[in-house]
Amino acid sequence: MGLWKDIKGTFLPFWVTLRYLFRRPVTVCYPERKQPPAPRYRGRLVLTRDPDGEERCVACYLCSAACPVDCISMQAAEREDGRRYAAWFRINFSRCIFCGLCTEACPTLALQTTAEYELATRELLQVVCEKDELLIDGCGKNTEYNFYRLAGIGVVAPRGGNPGETPPEDIRTNMP
Amino acid sequence: MNDVLLTIILIVLKLGLVLGTVLTMAAYMVLAERKILGRMQMRYGPNRVGWGGMLQPLADLIKLLSKEDLIPEGADRWIFMLAPAISTATALLAFAVIPFGPSVQLFGRTVPLVICDLDIGVLYLFALSSLAVYGVALGGWASQSKYSLLGGLRAMAQMISYELAMGLAIAPVVMASRSFSLTAVVEAQQTLPNMVRHPLAFLIFLVAVMAESKRIPFDMPEAENELVAGYHTEYSGMRFGMFFVGEYLNLIVLGSMLTVLFLGGWYGPLLPGVCWFLIKVLGVAFFFIWVRGTLPRLRYDQLMAFGWKVLVPLGLLNLLITAAWMIWRG
Amino acid sequence: MPTLTIDNQTITVPEGTNVLEAARQLGIEVPHFCHHEALGSVGACRLCAVEFLEGPVKGIQMSCMVLAKDDMVIDTGSDGVLAYRAQVIEWLMTNHPHDCPVCDEGGECQLQDMTVAGGHGVRRYTGPKRTYQNQDLGPFIAHEMNRCIQCYRCVRTYQEYCGGKDFGVMGTRQRLYFGRFSDGPLESPFSGNLVDVCPTGVLTDKTYRYKSRIWDLQEAPSICPHCSLGCAVIPGARYQELQRRRARTNRRTNGHFICDRGRFGYGYVNHPDRPRAPLLGHRRVTWQEALAALQNHLHEFCELYGSGSISMLSSSRASLETQFLTKRWANALGSGQLCFEAHPRRDQAARVAASQAPDCSASMEDIRSCDMAVLVGADPLAEAPMLALALRQAARRGARIVVVDPRPVELPIDCERHAAAPEELPRILQGLTRPQQNAFASASEEFGGALGRALLEAKNPVLIGGSDLLGPQGCQMLLKAAEACSPTGSTCRSMLLLAGPNSFGGAMLSDDGPGFDALLEGMEQGRIKSLVCIEADPVADYPDRKRCRAALARLDLLVVFDCAATATVQEADLFFPTTALEEAAGTLVNNEGRMQAFEKVFSAGTPLLQSAAGDHPPRFFSRDIPGSHPQPAWTTLARLLGRDAELEKVRRELEKIDPRFDGLAGLTADSEGCRVVAPRQAPALVAAPASGVTASDQLHLLVTEHLYGSELLSDLSPCLQAVKSDPYVWLHPQDVARLKLVEGKPVRLCTSLGEWTLELRINGDISPGVAVVPRLRGTVVETLVPGSEPMLCRIEKA
Repeated sequence: MGLWKDIKGTFLPFWVTLRYLFRRPVTVCYPERKQPPAPRYRGRLVLTRDPDGEERCVACYLCSAACPVDCISMQAAEREDGRRYAAWFRINFSRCIFCGLCTEACPTLALQTTAEYELATRELLQVVCEKDELLIDGCGKNTEYNFYRLAGIGVVAPRGGNPGETPPEDIRTNMP
Repeated sequence: MNDVLLTIILIVLKLGLVLGTVLTMAAYMVLAERKILGRMQMRYGPNRVGWGGMLQPLADLIKLLSKEDLIPEGADRWIFMLAPAISTATALLAFAVIPFGPSVQLFGRTVPLVICDLDIGVLYLFALSSLAVYGVALGGWASQSKYSLLGGLRAMAQMISYELAMGLAIAPVVMASRSFSLTAVVEAQQTLPNMVRHPLAFLIFLVAVMAESKRIPFDMPEAENELVAGYHTEYSGMRFGMFFVGEYLNLIVLGSMLTVLFLGGWYGPLLPGVCWFLIKVLGVAFFFIWVRGTLPRLRYDQLMAFGWKVLVPLGLLNLLITAAWMIWRG
Repeated sequence: MPTLTIDNQTITVPEGTNVLEAARQLGIEVPHFCHHEALGSVGACRLCAVEFLEGPVKGIQMSCMVLAKDDMVIDTGSDGVLAYRAQVIEWLMTNHPHDCPVCDEGGECQLQDMTVAGGHGVRRYTGPKRTYQNQDLGPFIAHEMNRCIQCYRCVRTYQEYCGGKDFGVMGTRQRLYFGRFSDGPLESPFSGNLVDVCPTGVLTDKTYRYKSRIWDLQEAPSICPHCSLGCAVIPGARYQELQRRRARTNRRTNGHFICDRGRFGYGYVNHPDRPRAPLLGHRRVTWQEALAALQNHLHEFCELYGSGSISMLSSSRASLETQFLTKRWANALGSGQLCFEAHPRRDQAARVAASQAPDCSASMEDIRSCDMAVLVGADPLAEAPMLALALRQAARRGARIVVVDPRPVELPIDCERHAAAPEELPRILQGLTRPQQNAFASASEEFGGALGRALLEAKNPVLIGGSDLLGPQGCQMLLKAAEACSPTGSTCRSMLLLAGPNSFGGAMLSDDGPGFDALLEGMEQGRIKSLVCIEADPVADYPDRKRCRAALARLDLLVVFDCAATATVQEADLFFPTTALEEAAGTLVNNEGRMQAFEKVFSAGTPLLQSAAGDHPPRFFSRDIPGSHPQPAWTTLARLLGRDAELEKVRRELEKIDPRFDGLAGLTADSEGCRVVAPRQAPALVAAPASGVTASDQLHLLVTEHLYGSELLSDLSPCLQAVKSDPYVWLHPQDVARLKLVEGKPVRLCTSLGEWTLELRINGDISPGVAVVPRLRGTVVETLVPGSEPMLCRIEKA
């Protein structure tokens, strides 16, 4: 019985492969036919703005820390109003593996993936993107979130002026 | 004088024709393999260069020729450079004795469609397939890499082991045709191909040939998930290309051997002999590709056990039976 | 010695150890915020809870508040404990803002770690969060009170450990506020430690604000180069820029903290004017060209004038390896004209300090645990700030601290002050050397004798001297006094404050070599044709700048190796850029003779902030890193000597040639360091000429170090420019009245070296008849160098 099974197991596959030889290939021939990417496709990254039109990125370095291939670099700086922002922000898409870990790490929803995937070029520096190339005029996938309204340290509102905060304590009184 | 010149011209013509045909065939064999495997896996295979990918071999050749020729530090330079050449040369030399068809009348002479009809053609083929071991073994050894060395060792053991089975499978054929000349062997099959006359020998030979060509399911020497690329791990550019071409030349050589020894050579109805020969060789090649698309790789111990414990005893038994039959029939 | 069991491991600890420390000794880290090894326990954060299963106490208790007792069985990770800690974290997080992305502490925040470890992810409490207004705490510390978790570490550090008075806690209940009464810079020179102790982001380093995350920093154990104490630090660099320094723990030296000069003095490494390429004349050349020029010239001098025409000067800034190879190079050239300090008197004093028996010298640890300390001519805050902190710890344990000094020495403690005139100091020391004697010739000697007797009665007395004021003779007397004041069964340890981080190493290597005076004489007579300065700045460090400049001008070749744009570099014929301390590995020997290795933190290069002018890095490909030419001085010397530039080999060679440095090759940068094995022999001192009789309108001018602005490297740091004072002169009210001067008004200071107009300040703690001027680089009094004999001067209305 075992021997019969072995022989069958050896010769049946020949029939299978022969049948498949005449099947229609499932390959989609790419440049002639383009498939629309899935809604959550992880393509080129962009920096978005908050609903007030300010840059969402606070240059917290979490994306660069999460990046497994070290393709994100930046320098944080402080604006006069105390807002932390990226003085420069660079993504090297020639290194990027589009894993999306940076967008998961981003606490301000600044860094988001888009469906753009046709990035190939012969010019290496074209895929090294600076902040002005990455920053878009829009909120991306979330149109409501504004980090500084929830952070609890002021900047967009006077201290203690954001929702869910009490006004600043008066340290000159010991009254309860 | 004129006679000598004509002889020389004919030889050169034959040589050129065979070389051109065989090399083109080898190149397109690569494409055919990729396309057939692709279709078996519901893909297209290469279809970008030329019409339906027909210029792919040319593109591959240009790529291989223009690639950097790396020689690893610590490699045995000369042997490293020589090994691919041995591999290709032995495969090419085998075509010297293979008869493609019946003799034809040309310029008033009888021209045999074989470059050199040796009386010991079978032995010559056998000797060359033994020499092919050198290309692989030396390439593996000279690379100074553990993967290459292991691949080379495996190839050596495998080829030597299966050569024995192959020899034992050929012996009945030679006995039946009473000649070592390949032309004679073919002519002996005019009525009935040896495949029918010696079915066991044919099966043994088929398996041994597959093992000899180091193809799936016997591709232990270059098992990529264990040995990277086996004996040619360290090769690049056209040197790698020569190993590659050698492999596909070997495919044609072994297909020709199978055709000549068991499938009745150029004999067949309606079509001219050369066509039949080609059809048979291509059929064998397709079969090899089909096997590659179907069967998984064996384990090394299974391979050796099968060779020594099954094929060699079977071959001996077959030899004994054939000899007995021949004595009984007188 | 109680024996207890923690997490199934048994340990015996000294009496008085708390359970948290006992667990730490087993390698079990109980999470905590408010406990700190240097500050002790207060039990405020409630995080270090552990479960006591057996023994005198039972149940969940704070491990920092329970002393280890016999038969205790403790589980640090039981379910109840973990739930308790998670609850504490959740409470703390009800008011903590969710601003980690914009908080500089992120990544090294204990609260962040504990929140993640405790599994707290969602704030269940829906009530409002408490907020505060922040304060401006000056140029060093940024304040964000909303993040506070009331662990009290900052107040305990600032007020108790460091003795600061202007930062404290206000308010009640959960409205506690940690800050000042009103905005303003923190006054304590140890305020930077608040950054290290704050477990979350309330107090962060303002100079490092928004620069980097801890995980992006290149860090390595290093040594602070800004005074002779050799405190352990961890510098952090990124994008070729040294961005901060934080304290490292070395229980033998600094303990857990460092001073603000050490913490914020790092800026010299990134200084925009730092020369980063070899210069021939004032032309940029390649290393090959410069080295070839150097070798050609020196060869020529040897041929023409003999090897005695070449002289070399290293300094207390150079690492031991550099100093050693300088000496080897001088030997190879056959020149004996080599010294390691441009200031002859400081040089002699360092040689005296190095002749002290290693087992008699006091480490900072000894000072922290002493019960009586006498400071003679030492101003810790100016000359070695961390010494002041060590003295404060001794005083907190009840030690008696006596300061004998002509200057108004400020310490963060209450101590006995004795304003002695400069000429009195030798007499007091004389008295100290004969404590048993009762009949003294003068009141000063009698005072010294009384101090000596007190030292004899103490258990762990320490005698501390400043080499600048005492000079070599004074230092020698101080060492003798320490010997004489040793109580039976114990030794009176002594510590001498030296000029630089490696003065001791230079003094050990200099043997009986000439001082810089002798070299200058050679130059003036024309015997010496060339001077090679290796990380030395004789123009600024030699007391008589005019003479030094004139002598250097006579040289045929002045070669300078340095990492800063010093006054000498401006005059160099041939300049080689060297790495800063953080850019190479090496060894420094601190003032107690402790050899301490430091590691390379990062590779030299122009900071990205400068090379890209604040914008993104350049968009082109290049093999060269801008500004990466500086090489460690010792590797260049090794190349000149024709050997491998391997630190290990150099150290082993030094150890072999000079067994006093035994243990050097085995040193690692994160160890506590080890002392040199044996002292050098005491140098032969020439008695200084007695100062002339003072005319009635003449004063003794003392040039002294100042906390900020005196030390070369820290003065180059932009962060410290804000706290550097304007030049001034200090006088006693008596002298002010006598000379009819007005406080705050400019006065004219006339000496033999020149005349300056300075602001007048009055201080009652100063010795009458003395004028004190701080050394402030880059100001009008730049040419006044401390460490010399008191000069005679006149002060008149400007």
